[in-house]
Formats: sequence, structure tokens, C-alpha cells
Amino acid sequence: MKKVLTLALALTVGSAAAQTAFVWPAAWTGEQNTANKRGGELRLSAISDFKTFNPFTSAEADSIPDRMESGSGLFTQDPRSDELIPYMAASAPVVSNNNKRFVVKIRQGMKFSDGQAITADDWITTWKIHTDDKVGSNTRDNFFLVGKPITIKKLDNYTLQFDFPQPSSKALVLMSYTPWPDHVFGKAYREGGAEAIKKMWTLATPPSQIVGPGTWVLESYRAGERAVFKKNNNWGDWNKDSRGQELPYLNNMSVRIVADANASLAAFLAGQIDTVPMRNADDLAQTKKAIDAGSLKAFLKANVSPQATSQWITFNWNKASDPAKQKLFRDVRFRRAMSHIANRQAMVQLALGGLGSETYFSTYPIFKQQIDAGLSAGAPTYKYNLAEATKLLGQLGYTKKNAQGFLVDKAGKVLEFNLSTNAGNTVREQLGRIFADEAKKVGVKVNFTPIDFNTLVSQLTSKGENRPFDAILLGLSGGDNIWSFGQNVVPCGTNLHSYNNPTDGKCATSQEQLMTKLYYQGDAELNDAKRRAIGGQLMKVEGELQPVIYLVGGNYHVAYNERLGGEFAANMMDAYYGHRYYQLTFIK
Amino acid sequence: MIPFLLRRVVQSIPTLFLASLLIFFVIQLAPGDFLTPAKLNPNISPEQIAALESNFGLDRHPIEQYLLWMKNMIFNLNFGLSFQYQQPVLDVALPRVLNSLWLVLLNLIFFYAIAIPLGVYGAVRQNSLGDKAVNVVLYFLLGFPSFFLALIVIYFILQIRNATGWDIPINGMTSNGFDAMAPLEKVWDVLKHLLIPALVLAISDAAGLTRVIRGLMLEVMRSDYIRTARAKGVSERTAIWKHTFRNAILPIVAGIGGLLPAAISGAGLTEVVFAYPGITPMILDAINTQDLYLIAGFTVLGTILLVIGNALSDILLAVVDPRIKVG
Repeated sequence: MKKVLTLALALTVGSAAAQTAFVWPAAWTGEQNTANKRGGELRLSAISDFKTFNPFTSAEADSIPDRMESGSGLFTQDPRSDELIPYMAASAPVVSNNNKRFVVKIRQGMKFSDGQAITADDWITTWKIHTDDKVGSNTRDNFFLVGKPITIKKLDNYTLQFDFPQPSSKALVLMSYTPWPDHVFGKAYREGGAEAIKKMWTLATPPSQIVGPGTWVLESYRAGERAVFKKNNNWGDWNKDSRGQELPYLNNMSVRIVADANASLAAFLAGQIDTVPMRNADDLAQTKKAIDAGSLKAFLKANVSPQATSQWITFNWNKASDPAKQKLFRDVRFRRAMSHIANRQAMVQLALGGLGSETYFSTYPIFKQQIDAGLSAGAPTYKYNLAEATKLLGQLGYTKKNAQGFLVDKAGKVLEFNLSTNAGNTVREQLGRIFADEAKKVGVKVNFTPIDFNTLVSQLTSKGENRPFDAILLGLSGGDNIWSFGQNVVPCGTNLHSYNNPTDGKCATSQEQLMTKLYYQGDAELNDAKRRAIGGQLMKVEGELQPVIYLVGGNYHVAYNERLGGEFAANMMDAYYGHRYYQLTFIK
Repeated sequence: MIPFLLRRVVQSIPTLFLASLLIFFVIQLAPGDFLTPAKLNPNISPEQIAALESNFGLDRHPIEQYLLWMKNMIFNLNFGLSFQYQQPVLDVALPRVLNSLWLVLLNLIFFYAIAIPLGVYGAVRQNSLGDKAVNVVLYFLLGFPSFFLALIVIYFILQIRNATGWDIPINGMTSNGFDAMAPLEKVWDVLKHLLIPALVLAISDAAGLTRVIRGLMLEVMRSDYIRTARAKGVSERTAIWKHTFRNAILPIVAGIGGLLPAAISGAGLTEVVFAYPGITPMILDAINTQDLYLIAGFTVLGTILLVIGNALSDILLAVVDPRIKVG
């Protein structure tokens, strides 16, 4: 009996301990902090000043709330398997109601940086404020699925119930938002509504009043100069390394605001900051030179993975003012010919300095598993082949060339279109020029003009039967590797369904309808392998239809000062996960 | 004096009105708005964009936006809300203005400390070897944009840093750990950061003023009353500083009015090059993101200061030149 009691006791203690701490797997670093090095400051840079401390009104890509969100969320992705594992959640969710209801137990014993316990109320309040459209939160859309709201209910202090309007593969991602303190925001919101929330945590707020749930909390901020974060002492209570030590190892993280990317590179080369994104071959060469000259002790690795971005050319199918062009752009043979014209190899060599990869699909090449699924489903790639392009254009009736060497139709009209990109983006300007030069070789006249970015975007996102452009060269970024297709891009009638966007938002072809159907079907599929197979089908249809001609994408390179330890093993680094967790980073 | 100031106030109303009108509608002429980049984000829905538009008032007619902005400015001294910061324009701009002010003030001290002696020297020792040497250097600097000079200076500082290991600041306004410093240390730390940009600015700007002072001095030195003064036996020092210099700088005093808006408009691209947290990087950022009210509000502030500055310089001119009467 005594034995049984001890066992039961051991089990409860064991499970209680397991519930209070999340152990960061040893495999998440290539180099263990076995010497237990602690303290020190990680020095980073940002090229744009911070705009607010307020997590609900923040709209920047790299913001102070973003940095304080690191180390929070109900679930987190394991970089080894891409799998979502319970993090602030105590265990995997209980799923019911046809994959639409998720009941999540919250880990107990977690505290905000001010010592208050983190409970279900914090999630509820955060959700309420994010979804109030008077607040203007940038993440509001994360709480909706195809326009229908996701609802969240508190079952008890440590249990939440999420109800989704339909099943979604991204459910766990959507549930993993950062809970902000109810005792700070909830109070203000109940008393003063959206207006009170907007007035909170501006740059003028003393950092001592800032409270966060994550690894870092703001220590000081000087406008236009730097933000310094300190470790949240309560975070280490439930975050341990594989040897049971409290995390993070670092005491501080500072972000210096510099004039531009060149200035941040200079600061890195001078040893003043610890890591900086390598943009191109030039950055790599300068860093290599400094390392070889012995003035910088740093780790440098080129071409670690493709970037999670795309560059493409889209043709306007809604051109009522010019029926001939509309007919041309809607002809699949024309678009396949255009893909054959795109000399992606030359684009990688000339525009990206050899550091990039060719792309053929809307899925970024970094999401390799999805790309592989597409290729094995038979998704076609229309590679550089001018002879094939000439043949396809001949099928369209363009067989004769005029005195200038451009193809003409029976009426003698030259085969030409305007292509624009945003002025100032040198890479895109080069891509456009290479495309135009190659097009000329087969007799297609491409009038390539870089124009103002804002004008370009309003052309691209315009709706109607007669939209104001022929073709646009642009890029997209953002998205995750769970379901790596754009919710605003693939389905008909959405904002970035750039090639066909009539007033009623209807699909023009059966392939578009199929793609829309496959998009939602894949989004609702919870099984990873099955979902990727659906994605493969989608890529096949997309490849055959060629609504958008995908060109090339740059590569991701890694550079950091050797004083930092705790990075990923080399095979785990990529553009999606980066090169380390700052939580496991230490100063050697 | 009081009627003069009153007249100035009344005169400034149409000026400010027209200026504000121009500022607002010139900004409106640019295509797109603050939310345009968000439209390219695959994760933001059109409904969300529409909600933000009405939140920011961007869905209203520009004339309506202008009238609302004017009303708030006149009755509540409210220059509008910055879209990026979600904060009143003044709250965003004032700390930056203060930072710029330090830089510009130090720059002004250097500026006059370099330009006045050099200009006077050039006039008194006209065509001497020293004058010619100064002229050559100044001509050279005149052709240099200050940001370019700054870049060259940064290059040399980096070389010195690498060679000697001295911690010469090349950018920013404070060092790491600034908040933990004692008050005196803080002053020294900021001064250290200010010194080089202020000097770079002053040197490249001083070229012009030195030439002007030299020319004006030469002109006055040849006038009859200086000859008379000399004939009466005043010392050389009095002849130059009291009689010549005081008369020669009148056109410069007249230009002091321009300094007030210049002081708050910051040190231009030099601030960007030195990553100094002044007004220019903020305004450039605001223009890039089309942060309507921040640009407009700040420009109106500059216009108001220009009007005040001009009035001040008229008063100063009257103090320096007894022939001018105000009122």
C-alpha cells in the first residue's frame, strides 16, 4: 500500500512538475551551453524607428510588441518536424465537433513580468480587443475564418474553448496568439473602450509600466536610437533548458536603430552588433573580407536556404477596353509562352548575383515538402525555351514579323504589352529588363516601365471589368509552412487574386474554381500528409493554368558574431526558422 | 513695437492659411495612402483595410479631411494623429525637435566661431598667403554636400578606430548603458556624439558665410566713414570690430529669422548619415509611409516658426542698426 501511495505521489509530483515547465529540447541548439554561461547582452539592429509599445495598434513588421511576444503562445512549431507542440498549453487540445471545437488546458504557474498569474482571462481580453474594429488591430483577421468569427470561451481559470466556424489546418497557429495582461488592458477596455486602448502604451509610456508574458520585457527606449529589453524573470519559472536550468541565458537584448541596411552592415563589421541579415553577394563579400582581414570574428554561411518570398509577373484578364489584349492574356498558350520566355537562370545570375533559385509555383521554394508534393503530383514547369515559346505564339496566329522584328497579327498589329514594376526596387527592375530582352528575341514587344509603388499597388488591387494595367512584376512575402498558399491570393474574388478580379469576384475558368475549392479543402485538412497532397493537386492546376508567371527568389544567408553561442545545427538553419532561438543563445 | 507685432500677426494669417492649404493638398496629390502597402499583404483582408481606412478617416473626401484638420488645429492646438505612431503629432515630433535643437545649436556655435574670424581675417589680410589658403580650402568645401563630407569623416573615424581601438562614436546620440550613467557622464556622452556631426555641418556650411563676411567687410572697409574713423585715430581693433564688423553683419542679422525654423527642421541628411535621432530621419520615414498628419503638422509648425523668426529678425535688426525703426 505504501508503495502504491509513493508511486501515486511520485506520479502527481511528476505530472505537476511537467505541467509547470516547458523543456526546450537539446536538439534545438547545435551547441549546448554546458558551461552554464549566463548574462550579457545580445546586440541587434533595426532600420526603422519603433512606433509604439502597444500590441493592439502596432502595425510594423519589426516592432517592440513583436519582440516581447517571443516566448509566448499556446503552441509552438518544432523546427525539426514543423509540428505544433503544446507550449503555454499544458497538453494537446481536446478536439471535438468535427474538428471545429478545441478545448485547451493552460499551463499553470506562468506569470507576467509584473508577477501576476497568466490565466484564461488574459486570452479572452486579448481576443476581445483584437477583434474590436475600432481598435484597428493588424491581427484582427487572424480571429476570422473566411469572414466568420472564431469564438473563444473561458471554461475555468485555466481552460479555454475555441470554436471555429469551419475546420482549419492552421487552427493551432491561429490559437497561438500572445495573451496580453487582462489586469492592464482589460481594465482600460471595460472603462474606456477602444479609445482607451489606443491611448495606452505609446512611446511616451514609461517602460517600467510595460508588462509582458514573453521572454523579454522592455527596459528602456530612446526615440530613434535604441530599445533595450531585459529578461522577464518570471519566464524562466516555466522555461528550462534540457538540463533544467532557467532560460534565457542572456540578461539583455538591445536593438539599435540605424539609418539603413548599409549602416547596420557597417555596425556589424565594426563589431558593434552581433548579427545582421545578409542581403546580397556584396554584403557577403564585405563580411568575408572583414573576417579574412582578422578585424571581425564571425560565422558566415552563404546560401543556407531560399528566402520565403516570390517574384512574379501577372497578366490582367479584365481589360474590357482592349478586347484583343484581354483575349490574349486569357489564352493559356500565351501565358505558357511567357513562362518559356522568362530566363530564370540569367535572372539568378544577373539580378541576384548567382545567389537565388528559380521558382515556378506560388509556394515559396523554402517550403520544400510542399514543393515536392506538387512535383510528384505532376505539376508542370514551363522552363526557359524560346523555341517552345515561338511555337506557342505561332499557334496564337503570330507567325509573321514586321521590319523591326516584332511579331504581328493578320491585321499587322504588333504583339506588345506594358509591364510595370515599382521604381527603386533594383532587383525587380533588372528582372523586368531581362524578361523584356528575352521577349524581344522571339518578337514580343514588352514596354517595361518602373512606376511609383503606390500607383502600382492600386492598379494591382483594383477590381472591375476594366482594370488599368497590362502586366505587373511584383513580389509577395509572408505566410507559414502549414498551408503555404495565400488566403488572399488563390481563391477567386480575393484581394490579391491579381490576374482576374471582376466586380462580382467570379472565377473565369474551371481551373480557378478548382483551385479555390482545393484551397479551402486543403485548409480544412488536419492531416499533414493529406493536406500536402491536396496542395500538390493545387500546384498542378496552378502550373497548368499559369495565371501568374513565377520567376526567381533570393537566398537566405547567415552571419553572426562568434561571441554568440547556442545556434541551430547547420542543417536546421533556414529562412523560416532563422539561425537560432534567442532564448537559447548565450555569450561565450 | 506692439502695433508692429499686431500687424505682423494679422499679416501672417493669410500666409499660414495658404501654406497649410498647399501642404495638405500637395501631400494628397501623391498616389496611394498610408494603407497602400498593407494591401499587398496576403494576410490582411480587404474588410480589415476598409475598417482601418474609416478608422484613420482616409475614406473621407480630402476637403473634409482638411477642414477637420484645420478645425482641430485652430481650436484645440491639435495637429492630428500620426498614423504610424497612433499618437498626436506634437508628442511624436517634440522629442525629435529637441534632439535636433542640440545638434543645430552646437553646429551654430561652431559655424559662427569658424566663419566670423576667417571672414574678418580674409578681409583684413586681403590677398595674403593665409587668405588665399583659406580661400582654396573653402572653395573646395563649398562644392561638397555635407552628407558626403560626413561619409568621408565616418570612413576615417572607422580607420582610426580599427587602428587604435579608440571608442570614437560614429552614430547615434548616446552610448550603450546611457540610462545608468551619472548626470555629468550623460552630458559628456551626448556631447561626444554631437561633436563630430556638428563640426562636419559647421565646416561645410561655414564656407559660404565666410565668403559673405569677407565680401561685406571689404565693402564697408572702403567706405568713407571708416576712413574718417581711422583718420580720427581710433585703434585698428575698434575700426575693424566696432565700426566695420558691426555694419558689415547687418545682412546676416536680417537672415537670422531663418534660423528658428532651421533649428527645428534639423540638420538634414547629416542626421541620417550619423543615425542621429533628429527630425530628418523621422520626416523622411513619414514621407515614405505617407503619414499624412505628421508631415503636414510638422510643416505647419515650421511655417509658424518661420513667421515668428522673421518678426524676431526685424526686431534684432532694429537693435543692431539704429537707422531702422520698428513700428
